[in-house]
Amino acid sequence: MFLAWNEIKKNKLRFALVIGVLFLVSYLVFFLTGLANGLANLNREAVDKWAGDGIMLTEDSDQSLPQSFLSIEDADSIDAETAVLGQLNTIVTSGDLKQGVAIFGIDENEFITPDVSEGELFSDENEVVAADFLQEEGFEIGDTLTLSSSDEELTIVGFTEDARFNAAPVLYASLETFQTVRFGEATEQNADQVNGIVIRADDLSALDAPEDLAIVDTQTFIENLPGYTEQKLTLDFMIYFLFIISATIVAIFLYVLTVQKINMFGVMKAQGISNGYLARSVVAQTFILAAVGVVTGYVLTLVTGLFLPNAVPVQFDGVAMAIYGVVLIAVAILGAIFSVLTIVRIDPLKAIGA
Amino acid sequence: MTVLELKQAKKTFGTGHKKVEALKETNFQAQAGEMIAIIGPSGSGKSTFLTIAGGLQTPSEGDVVINGTSLAKLNEKKLSKVRLNEIGFILQASNLVPFLTVHNQMMLLKKVKKDTLNDQELEELYKDLGIEELRNKYPSDLSGGERQRVAIAKALYTNPSIVLADEPTASLDSERAYEVMELLQKETKSKQTTTLVVTHDTRLIDYCDRVFKMTDGTLREEDHTPKEGTAHE
Repeated sequence: MFLAWNEIKKNKLRFALVIGVLFLVSYLVFFLTGLANGLANLNREAVDKWAGDGIMLTEDSDQSLPQSFLSIEDADSIDAETAVLGQLNTIVTSGDLKQGVAIFGIDENEFITPDVSEGELFSDENEVVAADFLQEEGFEIGDTLTLSSSDEELTIVGFTEDARFNAAPVLYASLETFQTVRFGEATEQNADQVNGIVIRADDLSALDAPEDLAIVDTQTFIENLPGYTEQKLTLDFMIYFLFIISATIVAIFLYVLTVQKINMFGVMKAQGISNGYLARSVVAQTFILAAVGVVTGYVLTLVTGLFLPNAVPVQFDGVAMAIYGVVLIAVAILGAIFSVLTIVRIDPLKAIGA
Repeated sequence: MTVLELKQAKKTFGTGHKKVEALKETNFQAQAGEMIAIIGPSGSGKSTFLTIAGGLQTPSEGDVVINGTSLAKLNEKKLSKVRLNEIGFILQASNLVPFLTVHNQMMLLKKVKKDTLNDQELEELYKDLGIEELRNKYPSDLSGGERQRVAIAKALYTNPSIVLADEPTASLDSERAYEVMELLQKETKSKQTTTLVVTHDTRLIDYCDRVFKMTDGTLREEDHTPKEGTAHE
């Protein structure tokens, strides 16, 4: 540490540049992580919110909620806590405001009912509780919403936090309201139709689904949301490649720095300073540089998050970022190992020019 | 007391008709408190002799014994320890770490080696070498003569029994060169170290007790009478 720290103190600009590179790499990793997290949440917020272990859908629906049609009575065949769910996508308009939404038809007595953060829960026909994203977009309690797919009008009576499904903000309504919007004049004939039945059970595999229906665990259901897996894999790959690229950059940087010091290390070895001491010094120096770079990246990412508009789907997970930070530091130290190998191979005889 | 001994040490490079004998069979002994000059033209094998004596390379045949320890059977790690504990190197080009102040050059050695001069002895060494004002300066802030004096301090700080100096005055003008040799001579006598100075500047041999000449890998002792007032004070 003595050698490492003194070298950094003497060559402030050089090491500030190295830290700058490490900071930029970590900033990019953290930001992409936040973006991946935000985009993932954009798709799954409402699903996470209902805190179910699985969902029952028709087999033919290919695990897609909008393509699944089943009866409310199907819930009776499941020996577990259940909540019925109707879902449709539409566009709502209120004055100049227009927004694509997902309407969830639910039974307010079942566990899927959201906590209301502002206003109250729907209690009458055509009343809805909206995702707070709509509030951020300018919608207010009392607003009347016209729908692109129905002549019905809905009224916002409350807001609930973090409720988006497949990137669309959710409007929670009673099953009756949902059926009216969905089936119009044919509501009565379809009064028992829902899209899925959310299940809470310790062991989903112990449950028997009725014929033509299938129970899907929540994670599989989320992974099958349109575009979710593709989007997540793309961002995950970007992050993993970034790790590889950052490891390479750090390794090259440290290697170049070490090569510049070969003569000095050789002289030190001639004087009897061991490979172990020099190796520890290089690793300690890498740790200092990487830690400062990563911590700076961490802090500035969080600061950046404070200034981003709501439209940017970024959500920072402090714990996940901390883990990525530790991995980045570990990767940097791995890069330093290559430099250590160079040190071990230095012939002190050549270094002193004998 | 014999501090350094080369027993039938020989160094060859290459094989067959490309074989070169850089150091022919050499027997050599140096005592504590002796300052010895190794002179000879470039390429005669002086540096090969010095690096073998310093455990930086092993002889092809024979052995090197430092304070009773044979270097022949030591691995690189143990050789490294011998160099750290027994030998102080003063090299042609300054052997200072560029990003450490003069004082931190010493502190680095203190961290690596537990047995170093105590703080008071270090202060005396600074004073002896006239570098007490330089302790917070970096090598780039020093003149050639100052750098060599710091290099000497560094070589002596670890209490070595042998100091090996390879052309220690090469980058200095005559006045500075004599100054450095005087310092080396003084420290050799006061600390009873064994100092080997490799040089091709014959003016410097006046400061040495014995002089050896290297010619085509053969080391021979020269007739030499140390100059009065310099070597034997």
